[in-house]
Amino acid sequence: MALSQPFPTRPAAPASARSIGPDLTDGELVARARRGDGQAREELARRCRRPAYLLALQLLRDPDDALDVAQDALLRVFTHLDGFEPGRSVQPWLCTIVRNRARDLQRSRRRRPLEPLAGAEGESRREVIDRAPGPEATAAGHQLQARVWRMLAELPAAQREILVLRDYQDLSYDEIAGVLGVPLGTVMSRLHRARKALKELLVADGLTAAGASDG
Amino acid sequence: MAEREDRLDGAEGVAPCGRRFPEELLSGYLDGALTQSEDQRVRLHLEDCAACRVLYDELKTLRETTMKTRFVLPADDQWDERPRSALSRLFRGTGWTLTVAWLVAVALFAAWQLATGPESAVEKLAIFAGVSAVAVLFLSVLIDRLRVLPGDRYRRVKK
Repeated sequence: MALSQPFPTRPAAPASARSIGPDLTDGELVARARRGDGQAREELARRCRRPAYLLALQLLRDPDDALDVAQDALLRVFTHLDGFEPGRSVQPWLCTIVRNRARDLQRSRRRRPLEPLAGAEGESRREVIDRAPGPEATAAGHQLQARVWRMLAELPAAQREILVLRDYQDLSYDEIAGVLGVPLGTVMSRLHRARKALKELLVADGLTAAGASDG
Repeated sequence: MAEREDRLDGAEGVAPCGRRFPEELLSGYLDGALTQSEDQRVRLHLEDCAACRVLYDELKTLRETTMKTRFVLPADDQWDERPRSALSRLFRGTGWTLTVAWLVAVALFAAWQLATGPESAVEKLAIFAGVSAVAVLFLSVLIDRLRVLPGDRYRRVKK
């Protein structure tokens, strides 16, 4: 023991304990999480929560059910990390699990009618659109976002899910095709039909092109 | 050409302008998901077609609106994605086994005490009826719990 060293120095942090930031790819995070890195697990969970919850919310139309399904999907991701293929994104895999779990839940509750989707202009029991002031949207913008989200709930499930995957989660066409189990060409045509249907719903609801461009 | 056929689902339809043009290419163009030749085709069409340009602009505005949307998500303390550890599962299983064994032993001992005790037949019947009623209620709850256990989403979550 070297007496010339009055205070014990902190050992160098192992690679896995260094700062975990948004610059790490999903593959790197998964590799670290597999080795038991708690920070990597937390960052991975943080990245997964939003897409899992939003997709579940649009599919199930109930915030509590959505949280249940999203949490279940995340749990499955973490218990099957060893099966994750390096170089891929976690999000499509996660969305596939959410979609399957949401279907299971709907099947088990087929006799129970669903409640209308929360999140629209004061009539909901829980607000899901963040109306806090931000650099990207004005009050009119928030109102439009809430309106679009509410109208989205009136589309058929197949159109809702493809719009959430592309326009809220920014998945690529390849990734969407993988999640939905459909050919690539179907993604483009189904997405286009969904966008047009949503636009027509908004127009029927009194929204003009000028009003939309304000947001 | 094969790739082109793979990318579009269905025959070439009629666009809002009334011309034969695969309208879904507008969404592909918006998303930057087209091949170079498809991209050029859409660009040329948009230069020449006011109706499709209006539709394209509307879809673009819609996508920008959705992409800007921020959501209120459940608070962090409402999430827990940690599976239970193997040690935790081992202790839980052992604990349940010991508890059930203890309950059976106590029940058998109590039944033997009741059968051989000095109480009258009416007292024994009253005690037996009361204990049986509680046991039946407990069993009904246990059966319901066991029935939902396979679908319990949180059985592997550490709480």
